[in-house]
Amino acid sequence: MTTHAPVLDAHKSHSEKPKHYLNCSSGFWSWASTLDHKRIGLMYLIGTGLAFLAGGLFALLVRLHLWQPDGMLFSNDQYNQIFTLHGAFMVFLFVIPAIPGSLGNIVLPLMLGAKDVALPRLNLLSFYLWLSGAVLAALAIVMGGFDTGWTFYAPYSLYTNKAVVTIGLAIFMLGFSSIFTGLNFIVTTHKLRAPGLTWFRMPLFVWALYATSLLQVLATPVLGITILLVAFERLYNIGIFDPRLGGDPVLFEHFFWFYSHPAVYIMVLPAFGIISELVTVHSRKPLFGYKLIAFSSLAIAIISFLVWGHHMFTSGQSTYAMFAFSFLTFFVAIPTAIKEFSWVATIWKGSIALNSPMLYTLAFLIIFAIGGLTGVILGSLNVDLHLHDTYFVVAHFHYVMMGSIALAFFAGLHHWWPKMFGVMYNETLAKIACLVIFVGFNATFIPQFIMGSQGMPRRYATYVPEFQPYHSASTIGAMILGSGVALMVFYLVASLLTGKKAMQNQWGGVTLDWMSPTPPPLENFAHTPKVTTEVYDYSTLDLKSTQTPIG
Amino acid sequence: MNLPTSFPPRIEETPVLAQLIQDPAKAVNAIARAKPPELDEYGQLPKLASTFDHVDGLFYFTYAVCIFFFVLILGVLLFSVVKYRRKTFDQPAASNSTHNTPLEVVWTVIPLIIVMIMFAWGFKGCLDMTTVPQAASQNTYKATAAQWNWTFTYPNHPEKSRGEVWLEVNKPVQFLLESEDVLHAFYIPSMRVKRDVIPGRFQTVWFTPTQLGDYHLFCAEYCGDSHSLMYAQVHVVTAEEFAKAPWYTFDDSTPAKAAASGESIYKGQCSACHSVNGVAGAAPSWAGDKGLFKKDGDKVVGRERQVVENGATKTVVADEAYIRESIRMPLAKLVADYATKANMNAFGPDKLSDRELNAVIEYMKTLAK
Repeated sequence: MTTHAPVLDAHKSHSEKPKHYLNCSSGFWSWASTLDHKRIGLMYLIGTGLAFLAGGLFALLVRLHLWQPDGMLFSNDQYNQIFTLHGAFMVFLFVIPAIPGSLGNIVLPLMLGAKDVALPRLNLLSFYLWLSGAVLAALAIVMGGFDTGWTFYAPYSLYTNKAVVTIGLAIFMLGFSSIFTGLNFIVTTHKLRAPGLTWFRMPLFVWALYATSLLQVLATPVLGITILLVAFERLYNIGIFDPRLGGDPVLFEHFFWFYSHPAVYIMVLPAFGIISELVTVHSRKPLFGYKLIAFSSLAIAIISFLVWGHHMFTSGQSTYAMFAFSFLTFFVAIPTAIKEFSWVATIWKGSIALNSPMLYTLAFLIIFAIGGLTGVILGSLNVDLHLHDTYFVVAHFHYVMMGSIALAFFAGLHHWWPKMFGVMYNETLAKIACLVIFVGFNATFIPQFIMGSQGMPRRYATYVPEFQPYHSASTIGAMILGSGVALMVFYLVASLLTGKKAMQNQWGGVTLDWMSPTPPPLENFAHTPKVTTEVYDYSTLDLKSTQTPIG
Repeated sequence: MNLPTSFPPRIEETPVLAQLIQDPAKAVNAIARAKPPELDEYGQLPKLASTFDHVDGLFYFTYAVCIFFFVLILGVLLFSVVKYRRKTFDQPAASNSTHNTPLEVVWTVIPLIIVMIMFAWGFKGCLDMTTVPQAASQNTYKATAAQWNWTFTYPNHPEKSRGEVWLEVNKPVQFLLESEDVLHAFYIPSMRVKRDVIPGRFQTVWFTPTQLGDYHLFCAEYCGDSHSLMYAQVHVVTAEEFAKAPWYTFDDSTPAKAAASGESIYKGQCSACHSVNGVAGAAPSWAGDKGLFKKDGDKVVGRERQVVENGATKTVVADEAYIRESIRMPLAKLVADYATKANMNAFGPDKLSDRELNAVIEYMKTLAK
């Protein structure tokens, strides 16, 4: 192992203000037509951030409505539309695109020592497809809304008089946006690695994005086809899913989950990547079991294609299918457990800095442990027959989707924020917000585990009165969670106006993203960096760079 | 100041929240709900009322394993954070180890063994739940799911029951599940059974109720507007009581008795959509200003209402003939406000006999004001 630091080209002497990607040009058109991966990433960040806030608002309305058994705010029909909006916005507009689109776009080329992604124009097209999908989804709300749940189960989605075709088209476009991002990242990872950056020197965030991209490219077309078939079925009554025309509604479930189970890993693998990155930097210790984590990402990606049937244990599939799907579902628990153990082992005997990205990471590790372990409870066939479609499932996947993925996204955002903008947010407020979010999150979803195992079905606008204490506790938790997120948005935005200058290498990272100037110039590196050390070798860390303010 | 008397406070006790309500008097939940089930000794599951004890066994086994691993992870995390916290900015890690093969083998193999135990246990349980014993198949009920009600047909009895079903204790029972429209799911938490109800095919589910009592039957697959009102009560009774056929309450010997029978049909089959308090729900209310009948002196006559027939709007009188047509052929004349969203299923004589239909109309007349 050599001890040379990667060649870095820090700006040497400046008589003028350094130009970086934010101030190298200005005006609406310079952003709207930009091919720079960092600007596109920022536009994704704003877009997916707004979608998250909208989805969160719907979630708060859902929780408020469920304060009491007969429902408090809405008619049943309105409630059904709002929980559908919450799910569809969160899944399609936020959780799937957020990490690859924003942090992935900004960080991946930096980590590879590249000037940009391999296909910058395709990258911009991806963003515009996302934007069109988002606009169309918003239009669908005006054009009659949609009340099918984010799963669009046939035949209800074929019969309801809402704007299903419009939202279907929106999801179709979002799917292509996702496919293009995946393609781009695959090509970039293969072709644009800096000299010396071998596959096993790549940071794990890159590995995670690579595995994600494979899933995006392979699985998303199935969703596109399925949604298109639903639209054709609605418009032309073909008879694919509609039992009245000889179609099979269970076929829809198979198609849908053939995409949507891998999609769970499209969502969660980038989060794993962020956490792998953050535990090593903030513990200043090489990642424990690097290769095992990298391979477990690929293992999860492959197995995830073979477990979709566990969403359909109650659908009457054959016993043999249930046998296989349950077995493989348990199997997927192993690489996932290896990751969690490896992260914890990385923290063990590290040099642990309890700054806000690390706090979010610790919150992730705790919440993801619960999310993963409750998944094991659901993997058992006989237990699932009781828990399926109850709030237990709702709580389980929120522990993964919100508690793990969104928290990893927040962690990554706090981690790369000084890199992206050259400013630091208020650390005290960040730590308070992290605590509030952690408490609020658990207060929201622990009661849902309890009422779920007691038999409270999901997607209920009204409920039997014995569940009221749990629902009310969950509503209070959601309000706490919401205020934590509001605080986070406040101090992040405020940091852009009044934030202190960040350090050149704020957290003491040794991957290439921290070797470029902060914020990075238009093409990231003045000279292509050369990698001569193994990944996460903290003996090469230049501690001065963590103490030097930028500019 | 009026303080709430219960926690969480009921809506009428919280004036500020009450102002937020758009629709305070919703379509009534007319089917009586069973009492809350007792919980088991750990408070996580409703007390088991069937023979599927392997569900509870595996649930608590997995739960215990989860708590063990969670505490382990949490313990190591907290210990590390306290012990190895960075005190000076240049503090290096206490160790730079990146591998520990024995440890990695241990944490791969042990979880693998544990989950394989869970898998085998769960699959064995699942076989039990999906293999219908002969005793159950000889006691086959039919449960028909429709938006948004449950109808039950009994073995060897001609009568149906709606929104309620009676079972004999300790007698294995099979339900043949059919749907008239979209996906539903048949879920009795206390029995630990759930099965999707799929249009176009029959599904089966079986169990042996072992505890006397009343239990919730929920629809667990989202099925549209009044999904959460698609409820039925399961009554598990003794053999003697079952022999009296308690679901057989139909009596139309006098107008008053017919109306009472009609009301019970209404509650089981119509109430998820049609209210009787004038508030519009998923379907028009039967009472109120836009209801069906009104009092004219001491006579009860049909109200006029706007309907759409073959695309044309017209005014009809909601008399008995109109009501019969609207039940037998719901899409013939659509109430104007619902012309674009009407989705009622047709009630043919197999679902609602002529006498039953007349009883429902008798009940409708009692709603007139």
